[in-house]
Amino acid sequence: MSSFQMVLVPLLAAAALCALPAGRFARAVAVAAGLLESVLVVAQAVARGPGGIPTERFEWAGPLAHYAVGADGFGLVLLALTGILFAAGAAASRRVAHPRGYFALWCLAQAAVSGVFVAQDLVLFFVFWEAMLIPVALLMWLWGGADARGATLRFLLYTMAGSALLLAGIVSLVVVRGTSELSALALRPLPEADQTLVALVFVAAFAVKLPLFPFHAWLPRAYVAAPPPVAAVLSGIVAKTAAYGVIHLCLPLFPAGMARLAPGLVALAAVGTLYGALLATRQHDTRRLIAFSSLSHLNLIGLGVFTATAAASQGALVASVSHGLVVVALFLLATLLAQRVGGWSLADAGGVAASAPVLSAFTTLAVVAAIGVPGTSGFAGEFLILAAAYARFPGAAVVAALVVVVAAVYGLRLIRHAFHGPARAQIRDLGGADRLILAPLLALILLVGVVPTLVSDRVAGPPATPASAGAPR
Amino acid sequence: MTLGDLLAAAPLIVLAGGACLVLAADLVVRLPARGAAWLGAAVAAVAAVLAARLGPGTAGFGGALERDGGALFFVALVAVGAAGALLVAGDYLAREDLPPAEFVALVLFSATGAGLMAAGGDLLVVFLGLELLSLPLYALTGLLARARHADEAALKYFLLGAAASAVFLYGVALVYAATGTTRLDVLARGATPPDPLAFAGFALLLCGVAFKAALVPFHAWAPDVYEAAPPPATAFMALAAKTGAFAALLRIQAATSGGAVAAADWRAALAAVAALTLVVGNLAALGQRRVRRLLGWSSVAHAGYLAAAAAAGADIAAPFIAFYLVVYGTLSLASFGLLTLLPDDDPTIDDLGGLFRRSPLIAVGFVVVLVGLTGLPPTAGFLGKLYVFEALAQARLLWLLIIGVLASVVSAAYYLRVALACFAPSTAEATPMAGGRRLAGATVALATLLSLALGLAPLALLDLVRQVRY
Repeated sequence: MSSFQMVLVPLLAAAALCALPAGRFARAVAVAAGLLESVLVVAQAVARGPGGIPTERFEWAGPLAHYAVGADGFGLVLLALTGILFAAGAAASRRVAHPRGYFALWCLAQAAVSGVFVAQDLVLFFVFWEAMLIPVALLMWLWGGADARGATLRFLLYTMAGSALLLAGIVSLVVVRGTSELSALALRPLPEADQTLVALVFVAAFAVKLPLFPFHAWLPRAYVAAPPPVAAVLSGIVAKTAAYGVIHLCLPLFPAGMARLAPGLVALAAVGTLYGALLATRQHDTRRLIAFSSLSHLNLIGLGVFTATAAASQGALVASVSHGLVVVALFLLATLLAQRVGGWSLADAGGVAASAPVLSAFTTLAVVAAIGVPGTSGFAGEFLILAAAYARFPGAAVVAALVVVVAAVYGLRLIRHAFHGPARAQIRDLGGADRLILAPLLALILLVGVVPTLVSDRVAGPPATPASAGAPR
Repeated sequence: MTLGDLLAAAPLIVLAGGACLVLAADLVVRLPARGAAWLGAAVAAVAAVLAARLGPGTAGFGGALERDGGALFFVALVAVGAAGALLVAGDYLAREDLPPAEFVALVLFSATGAGLMAAGGDLLVVFLGLELLSLPLYALTGLLARARHADEAALKYFLLGAAASAVFLYGVALVYAATGTTRLDVLARGATPPDPLAFAGFALLLCGVAFKAALVPFHAWAPDVYEAAPPPATAFMALAAKTGAFAALLRIQAATSGGAVAAADWRAALAAVAALTLVVGNLAALGQRRVRRLLGWSSVAHAGYLAAAAAAGADIAAPFIAFYLVVYGTLSLASFGLLTLLPDDDPTIDDLGGLFRRSPLIAVGFVVVLVGLTGLPPTAGFLGKLYVFEALAQARLLWLLIIGVLASVVSAAYYLRVALACFAPSTAEATPMAGGRRLAGATVALATLLSLALGLAPLALLDLVRQVRY
């Protein structure tokens, strides 16, 4: 059960939270669950080497649904990221109302996300995929801001429409093939002519969750309305389940279908990359700025995923890790800034670098990573993806590469308006606890930037070819 | 009457005999509400155990009463459903001062009818079951005089139901005119002739059954009845009417699907009705403000999933329909049971505001049940829908499969709205709950947990439903 531990740890934490007599230690329990998960993952990764955790299977619900769990290199990296980001988000969720409920849902969300990364059975994958929805939606609905209801409903209906199609695709595939296990399915792909339609149905669900341009209408509202830590993990890791889904399910199961869809998907991703960045330059609310910059980054990850070469997948992995760390750091920093200056608008802040040098330095580092300056993790992922995409789809890569310029515009605009210029306010600098949460995230950003092979080498061999995906893991 | 006849009828005899016993006992000593409920539940439990222990055997009464896996499973299911509903009803009857013995007897008679429909090997026996199922339900609907429009709902149900029974009976007559028999096993042996008379007969039979199952366009009674009937009766009705209807439908369909033409006709008719039901049921539920009425429309929508599975063919779908009925029965028992635990048992969605503050356990129960009705994992509702979709994929009914999954997205909008309403700030003063509710609470908790457990570990139930074959 070594890979099921990753689901079990947060589940047990959620149960423990329900049993706690009071909410005093709730945050500590949630943080511990996240940290414990990442420690377990790293231990497993070190012990098992690049092959990941082999798949174990148990009976569950008849011949077409098993508890089959395991993790490949890609999954392990994202599992470790899950633990780290959920721990950071929980640590930053200070002074929430009804902490036991909040952190129990938080741990349930963590369990479901981890489940997506360990499921090696299509139906089980779908179960965890859908199970992510309810805790995240409840967190948004109950602890969200002014627009929480509309934003939550829109988020729910968009993602459920996508996953309804995914379910239809999974059911028809599983029934036709007589098995729901990924390893068995990958060994017997559908006839090439049938692959395109099923691949399209699968991609529809992932495109909404990522979100791929133009399926992003839920994103800005949700990111603004959700509590900032929830928005952070929603963007930092929940969105990555979509990229993982494409790499883990679509590419091995429908290689020919994905190849046929690739030009269109890559074009959308390239447009989305640029579009998100352009919109980000026009935002005044820092949350919306981060939301659109995330849209840009997530579409860039999509570009890597849909390019579907080994190098592009490695790039998508590095970019996923990088964006996860960066966006969580940015959301937390933006929250701290907003609390200090009394509003989310860029106009509220200004010149606070003088009074809050550490906040300013941390934010600058996170922004620099977001716009992909060499030496940060952002650069490594962006470069790998663009280089790999250029080899197959030069036109799309060129369009997407323009993002480097536009990202600098919105990034530097944020820094300049918030931290420099005439000082509008005197604010407190970061406290010790905040530094403790943010410093490890920023250290990881630099570490991955300097040694990207730490992450990219976890994907052993070319991951995107059916031969290696079909090999028993 | 031989021993074989007796054994085939034993669970039904227990149910009907139990109903008479309760009535007779009430003449001698005035039964208290909870006592009557316990007695009725015990009778139903005995019938269920009997059906489970009996095992398949030769049919009774010369083939008029089957004793196969399907008959026994559905009889046991209805009996368990009746027991659950009666346990929920105990506290409710005491509080509302409804006549307990009559309520229990009506539920048990109705369960007998549903069992008779499931076991009937002759169209006339099925008709007998249909009537015995329906008449007590009409009475139960009008029982709660203070409910909104109770008389109107009961009268509507009765008039439409009587018409549907007549239609069913006319179908039996036409089938008899075309084939010279009303026995299903005889029908199954002789390949059904492509005779317009027989075809018309089968179509009328389908109409009669569709009325009981609340399939569109025979659903007009459902929202009114669900809104007016006492919630424990509704919990029973939701399961019993659908079980009787679909058990009979599967048996008739299996017997008359011999020959490609007939099978294709069943498939086309059921698929069309299912698609219509899924669309209308879910869209209509979207606009509802009262929870009970919303659940009434949701029962229409769930009938759509069952009909969709049936469209895949009785041979493929029978076990999946059995599984779905177990899950749906559990969830309706839990949902209507939860309503009886509220001070106001006919709330609007807004009235649920503040429920989580006042009674967190009830609110959490609502969330679990509504998530189950939506068909989201990890509840059994997900597996129920998954199996229906698998049956559709096997039967290559992909268009219906896509309508089904999209309909479940629509259903999420109204179920989750109710679930989320429990967490909204309170809109009304909290009125204290009068009377005890421990028994109902325990039953509801059990049903709620069962709906979760069946989702996590369904293997035992899967083994059970595998015996449902025709």
